[in-house]
Amino acid sequence: MYLKDVYSISPQVTHTDEFINGNYKIYSKNILSVIEPSYSEMIPASLLRRMGKAVRMGIGAALPLIERHEKLNGIVIGTANGGLENCINFLNQIIEYDEGVLTPTHFVQSTPNALAGQLALMSKNTGYNVTHVNGPLAFENAILDAMMFLEGATNKTALLLGAVEEISNYNYNIDLIAGRYKSDYIDNNKLITSQTKGSICGEGSTMFIVSNDANNALAKLINLKQINYPNEIDLEYLLNQFLFENDLKTEDIDLLILGNNGDVQFDSWYTLLKSFFSSKKEYVYYKNFVGEYRTSSAFALYFATQLLKGRIHHKGIEGDVSSIPKIILIYNQFEGIHHSFILVQSVV
Amino acid sequence: MDREEVKNDFKGHLITYLNLLDITPDKIKDDEPLFDGDLGLDSIDSVELIVLLDREYGIKINNPTEGRQILIDVNTIVDYILLNRTK
Repeated sequence: MYLKDVYSISPQVTHTDEFINGNYKIYSKNILSVIEPSYSEMIPASLLRRMGKAVRMGIGAALPLIERHEKLNGIVIGTANGGLENCINFLNQIIEYDEGVLTPTHFVQSTPNALAGQLALMSKNTGYNVTHVNGPLAFENAILDAMMFLEGATNKTALLLGAVEEISNYNYNIDLIAGRYKSDYIDNNKLITSQTKGSICGEGSTMFIVSNDANNALAKLINLKQINYPNEIDLEYLLNQFLFENDLKTEDIDLLILGNNGDVQFDSWYTLLKSFFSSKKEYVYYKNFVGEYRTSSAFALYFATQLLKGRIHHKGIEGDVSSIPKIILIYNQFEGIHHSFILVQSVV
Repeated sequence: MDREEVKNDFKGHLITYLNLLDITPDKIKDDEPLFDGDLGLDSIDSVELIVLLDREYGIKINNPTEGRQILIDVNTIVDYILLNRTK
């Protein structure tokens, strides 16, 4: 499966070249909200006023791609929580108004498939339309779905594939109490080395055009693998099996993109993963830019496409890249439970 | 509250409930049709308006025909609020 185009809205300025050019935003707080482009020119005001943040930034990231690639055969979205803020507002209203009259907008915007549905309506796309919602592997499952859809399809078949996740202040507070986020504020560029419990909260929307057609592709997504509840031995076996299935060895991987999130409770998984490779293996992190959220691997994939194209010369920030990589392995895990590998290769 | 105060109160709620971006109360004309005018409200907004009236003024509109005669413009709604509000 080839990645033909990408658009990302994130806590970094990724909707312009600012992030690619190395201008990184530093936050001194534990909530990294997205920096949104102006939507007024692409989304009619009558629609925009109803949209929750997840739908808004999902559409904001998808519409530029839809405009550039008109003939899409479907839309596949991964989101763990969808319109979380609207969902919580809706649930709170049920209590506040004693199960009385409720406004429809919060409910409509809270459903995870609101984004894929709205995109289909706006682009008049009557093709395949699926939203995957299985937690921290929602985007991975969306990838898998897209790969299966494209398997055996013609070269002209193309899909919009993407992920979205939004921060809800209410939910952030619940997760904070549960220990998912750090109790003290830290700068995001010090996240990886923080060595304390919890991470920092992020959000974002990243969209791709995927196809069987290699022409003008940004990168090739070779394959992906996921596992739940592995132990350390499982992880090594899974990695070796995954590489073997794709005719690769650990030395063939030029770069690792690791999902370290600064949580001392779970970052040891990444240390373990690195131990399966040569000590000289190059690696980079990405959650220091965007924080932790359940579909952050979509940002990692965006990051990979930029590194493979040599657009980002990512030296000396968090891990080094001495040359433009040809094959990248993305490894991400969520609280030691949900793990995924994504292999991405450059296209010459 | 006198009529003017109710009108401004209602316009504030209207902007909040319908999330009318870049609209201030003074930009909403009292006699401008809500559903065929510049505001461009639609059927989902009419449900939001019914919820607004229920929550903010204790007014229940159960009859669709009645609703069509009330939800015309700010003047008709404010008149109805002044006559029927229970809170």
